[in-house]
Amino acid sequence: MEIKLKCGCGEEGCAEWAIVKMQGAVEVQPSFQDRLQNLEIGRLCLSSFQGNYTFTVGYHDLSGSRMSLKKPLLVLKKNKDGDPSKLDEPTSSRVELEVIGIIRHRILFKTRPKALISRVQSPVKGKVGQTSSTVH
Amino acid sequence: MAEAVLNLEQQNSSISITYDTNFGPHDDIILLEIDDKLLPHVLNNRVTIRGNVEEDAVLCTPSTTYALKFVGTTNSVFLIPPFGDVEASVASVIKVAPGVMELVEVAPKLEKLKMLLKENQYNGNEDFMEMGESCEIGLYRWDDLVERVQASDVELREGLRAFSAVEINGYWRVVEESFMGMVLNMLLHNSVLSGWSLDGLVENEVVGVLESDGFLREIARLCLEMYGDKVEDEVGGGYVWKLNEKRVCVHFARSVLNEGKMKMESFMEKWMQKIPSGMSVSFEMLEGEVLLEKLGIETWIRSFSVSSLPLTPAERFAALFRERQKWESMDLEPYIRDLRVPGLSAEGLLLKYTRRTQPTADAEPIFSAR
Repeated sequence: MEIKLKCGCGEEGCAEWAIVKMQGAVEVQPSFQDRLQNLEIGRLCLSSFQGNYTFTVGYHDLSGSRMSLKKPLLVLKKNKDGDPSKLDEPTSSRVELEVIGIIRHRILFKTRPKALISRVQSPVKGKVGQTSSTVH
Repeated sequence: MAEAVLNLEQQNSSISITYDTNFGPHDDIILLEIDDKLLPHVLNNRVTIRGNVEEDAVLCTPSTTYALKFVGTTNSVFLIPPFGDVEASVASVIKVAPGVMELVEVAPKLEKLKMLLKENQYNGNEDFMEMGESCEIGLYRWDDLVERVQASDVELREGLRAFSAVEINGYWRVVEESFMGMVLNMLLHNSVLSGWSLDGLVENEVVGVLESDGFLREIARLCLEMYGDKVEDEVGGGYVWKLNEKRVCVHFARSVLNEGKMKMESFMEKWMQKIPSGMSVSFEMLEGEVLLEKLGIETWIRSFSVSSLPLTPAERFAALFRERQKWESMDLEPYIRDLRVPGLSAEGLLLKYTRRTQPTADAEPIFSAR
């Protein structure tokens, strides 16, 4: 069986996708499990000082950098053509593979997350100085 | 959008990374790692995936074959497409990728080609006029081979050439050895009758005469290709065919040994009788074709051709060590010379598949199974 790798990208090349890679997994709170869509994962910012990226997820800060991939990644889409009107053809459930994008860079976060919880306060100072954002 | 992430330098503020409206497993989206040098093939639609359901798929460019391996990751890889939520300050994630597919260059899988071609070998007993659908069992056209063999087009053609296949009526065929021998004998017979020089056979003449003897033109040409070499015709321009002494003599040695093993003297006598006059033999011609055995004081010889052995390294070495437990380097070399594994040298092959021992420092190394 032969499946052609279709590429309609043309001369300009393929549309560029992006990748943000970090260690471990992001956990969504149980109450949000079924309605992930449009939920914010975190905020990504670029420090003008050193080209350092910061990814803030919940109360964690991740530190990372942007790198070019040694070997680009192609984004492929597998289409299963189960067109019932073509059932009499021998290859009625033809699989098609199409290049829909390319990835040349990624933002990689490989350090341990830094928890954005303030320094431990001595009992005397009480709650002064704690961060105002809610911690879950 | 991906641009939001990639062009962050132009943004002074931070951007929000969110789960896209259509976030999901999207098992139909696959990441494939690819070398920059293969990109032109991809962009020009010259890449295909080949393989049946029960086989591991391979990716083929016009001339190279690659195995596809999935490499998983425990990292979180957020995939952000260039389309999606339109806001410039938002990058939405469509999928968390579980890993990527990687390419590993491999040798083309030509064992299947060999097997398919053997299904219906040509032996002259075919009347093409009467051939209908029912006669097409075991017959394959180029497109049929592409559908079934996991090799790039260039490697598939090279395989057909290596197996001495010929295209007859659109079907790729190998010819039965005994039949080919008959054609060669006719050629030699005719060259004596017509006074042809075996060093300068004229293709049209040879093909014409053999055709009038009842052989297909394709078969006549195949005979010249199998047993001869094309050389420039210094006199008349163009080219002529010069019979290859080694290939012709090996053919006759094989036909002698078809009877089974025999004593060396007996073999040499029969061999000498069969070879065309003007040709001379040397024992070195038979490397990779015969094995010698000492039984008592006599040496016996029998057929053991590399062309009958498996094509893949593991199976090839297994077959060799089944035949003989220990091999000396000189004897082994002709039987592994044709093995090709990308990234592995001849020494690497030996290292991987054999155990090497050397009785004394100046003795010949011996190879045995691992």
